[in-house]
Amino acid sequence: MNFDSVPFPLDTSFQLWLTVFGSATLIVLIVSLLATVASLGSRGLGVFANELGAMLGDFVSISPRRVFALAQLTFREAYRRKALMVFVVFAILLMFAGWFLTSSNLQPEFQVKVYVSFVLRALSWLVLPVVLLLACWGIPEDIRLRSMHTVVTKPARRLEIVLGRMLGFSFIGLLVLTAMATVGGFWIRRQLPAEAQAQLICRQPISGELSFRDREGNDKDEQGEALKQGINVGDIWLFHSFIEGATKARAVWTFDDVGPDVLDAEGNLLLENRFQAFRSHKGDMKRSIYFQYIFFNPETGVRAPYDLKTVEENRGRTDRIPRKFASVSGTGGITDRKTYDLIEDLVTKNGQLTVEVACVDPGQYLGMARPDLFIRTTDLPFESGYIKAVVCIALMLLVVTFIGVSVSTFVKGPVATFLTFVIVIVSYSARDFMGTIIGDPDALAKAKQYSGMQEMKKLDGGGVLESIYRILTHMNPTTELPAGPATAVMKTIDTGMVNFLWLVYRILPNFDYFTKSQLYVANGFDVPFNPSVLGCLMITLAYFIPCVILGYFALRVRELEAK
Amino acid sequence: MSTTGQPREAVIEIRNLTKIYRDFWGRKKVRAVNALSLDVYKGEVFGLLGPNGSGKTTTLKMLLGLLFPTEGEIKILGQSASDVRKNERIGYLPEESYLYRFLTGEETLDFYGRLFNMSGSERKQRTDDLLKLVKVEHARKRQLKEYSKGMTRRIGLAQALINHPDLILLDEPTSGLDPLGSRDMKDLILDLKKQGKTIVMCSHLLADVQDVCDRIAILYGGELKVLGRVDELLKSQNQTQVLSDQLSPAAQAEVEAVLKKHGAKYQVDHPTANLEELFLRTVQESKERPGRRLIADEPTSKT
Repeated sequence: MNFDSVPFPLDTSFQLWLTVFGSATLIVLIVSLLATVASLGSRGLGVFANELGAMLGDFVSISPRRVFALAQLTFREAYRRKALMVFVVFAILLMFAGWFLTSSNLQPEFQVKVYVSFVLRALSWLVLPVVLLLACWGIPEDIRLRSMHTVVTKPARRLEIVLGRMLGFSFIGLLVLTAMATVGGFWIRRQLPAEAQAQLICRQPISGELSFRDREGNDKDEQGEALKQGINVGDIWLFHSFIEGATKARAVWTFDDVGPDVLDAEGNLLLENRFQAFRSHKGDMKRSIYFQYIFFNPETGVRAPYDLKTVEENRGRTDRIPRKFASVSGTGGITDRKTYDLIEDLVTKNGQLTVEVACVDPGQYLGMARPDLFIRTTDLPFESGYIKAVVCIALMLLVVTFIGVSVSTFVKGPVATFLTFVIVIVSYSARDFMGTIIGDPDALAKAKQYSGMQEMKKLDGGGVLESIYRILTHMNPTTELPAGPATAVMKTIDTGMVNFLWLVYRILPNFDYFTKSQLYVANGFDVPFNPSVLGCLMITLAYFIPCVILGYFALRVRELEAK
Repeated sequence: MSTTGQPREAVIEIRNLTKIYRDFWGRKKVRAVNALSLDVYKGEVFGLLGPNGSGKTTTLKMLLGLLFPTEGEIKILGQSASDVRKNERIGYLPEESYLYRFLTGEETLDFYGRLFNMSGSERKQRTDDLLKLVKVEHARKRQLKEYSKGMTRRIGLAQALINHPDLILLDEPTSGLDPLGSRDMKDLILDLKKQGKTIVMCSHLLADVQDVCDRIAILYGGELKVLGRVDELLKSQNQTQVLSDQLSPAAQAEVEAVLKKHGAKYQVDHPTANLEELFLRTVQESKERPGRRLIADEPTSKT
């Protein structure tokens, strides 16, 4: 799990949303206009304009009372059809889960991870299907049973029906989720073994920016670019890069906004790290590899090495650096011992703290990535992160509800269920793969991180038709296709398919934000507002508006009586 | 024109209305309504008649905006059929009771009242009044799935009247009702007419239509075949009916002699009541004199 919390790109996301939403709206409007003109001739223009005006009018004449009436109806329907029974399933799960989750062999932090992950996953995977089914069947069943006739023949706008349904299903989902999350929270507190209770916390990290210096001490590469990578030791996961021991190689973290407020109650700076060790020889088998923090103030040039520490492999360690500490520097018997005030002497005027990490053991390597060293500020209670994770699940539930209701306005219940289910599953599992096919920079960067390849680019071998052709003719993906009209047609069709895939990729929700919040809590971190909560909130809003419009449009242009 | 010579206000204007149902590929499947033109005037009870598949329900659903016309124009209360604002003044009782079966009677009326943006106190008052009017007050707390067909029909009518509508569209209003319920429904329709409401009803039950409708339209194969006032359409111009109480056999013989003298074809018989009248009379008399058999069967054979 990568806990590198990159801020949510609000401005670029909004631009992309506007592009996709604007293009889709424009396409729908043009197609509708052409269809109206084609069926009604010149009269179609007037009809189209009237309809458009009426639709806009519906948006400004929404009645909250009608929307709440429909929402309440939705809630009553679900309640009286025993949809809330899912809570009983959850209770049964919790009653027996303790038998299988308890293991005294596990380290306390892993025990916390198991319990918290179980509860959060159970919450997601029990509530989501229920809400998905309810949302996908509500409107189609109303149309099939013709109960909808008695509603649309009242002054209820179809927009209000869509909004009411969304609100009602959301309320049911949130109610069940809140009840289950409350019980789940208490259950974790009560069931977690005593030795792991202390680990039930939410750490708040302050992350820094990471750069490297090579074994000669250079902080720039041959092109004059800042070094962002260390050495690749052949590990397949390139997320971590390494520095060589007993050389001038350093991993350099720069933390902003450091002041006395980041120190703990005793005045210590807590640095937590999860460095990896890579050994090129056995070394001293009685101890782990040594590393050292060196604090550096670029304004004054003061460089203060701190005591040697050993790497805690696979667990991580927290080092308490006192505000005033004695530092010994120098080589060859000439040493200089000074006492520094961490905040006064080593933090720049604009609040920047630079921490260099050196591997001390010769011939050994220390691996790290940006989130592997952070300043740990005051821990928050576990409930703080747990509530935020539940909020993110709630937002995911809302997205599924919006999609389900929207889809159910133009297809029947089983099809709507299937379509929404596919959207959720593909978003979960295949979105990144689609991104690499279309050459999306974010998806490629992510694939590069996990694949261990030096460079990740759009996959070779062309689109579907080209790939089929190459397989059938045993042609290497790097070989040029023979020039000719057949190749041109094949490539054109493939390009069309890739463009369609681009649109699908952009339309599918990015569930990474929703699932990541659960991992933060399970691993003992607080859920950061940005990107996690903010990202989930933005995605939910981004889906709410188009889903409402799509649902309204589909219900308005539809003959409700037609089978 | 009205009987007073004033031009009558048309509540519904249908012009050249056509509905063609198409299949998935857009091919014509059936022409349900063909070039229908008619007006319904304010304050009248108008009946749409026709056999199954004649297009009367399709017409009603186009009036309500549930179906879109293929051609033609509909003005209902001066607005287009697709304009949702018209529904403020319309009450609709569907053919079957398509209400939410998980709601109680009280909740049903409250829900539909909210759709008309009625305030809480107004909804409560209207709910009480309507439950009393349609005689399901005793079952106000029961879910509709526990209602009998007749009770569901009654609550359906109540929801159609929740907004004091000016125009009421009733699709088979008496279907599923026993004769007493049917009589109540017809009385209610006549009462609504007295209040100045306009009522359009579709029905197969011709006796019901005859009892309450001022004008009727008969559709066949989607086309308008007959349109006019019920009394005028049913009047037989070449026949004369003479009704008399307590006519003695001698007087009857004299009358027959006169008719013979003028060469008229005639038939002398006792008039029969219709079955509904007989049923209602039986129920009424049974209530007054319980345990008494009113009419005995004729023995079918003698041994």
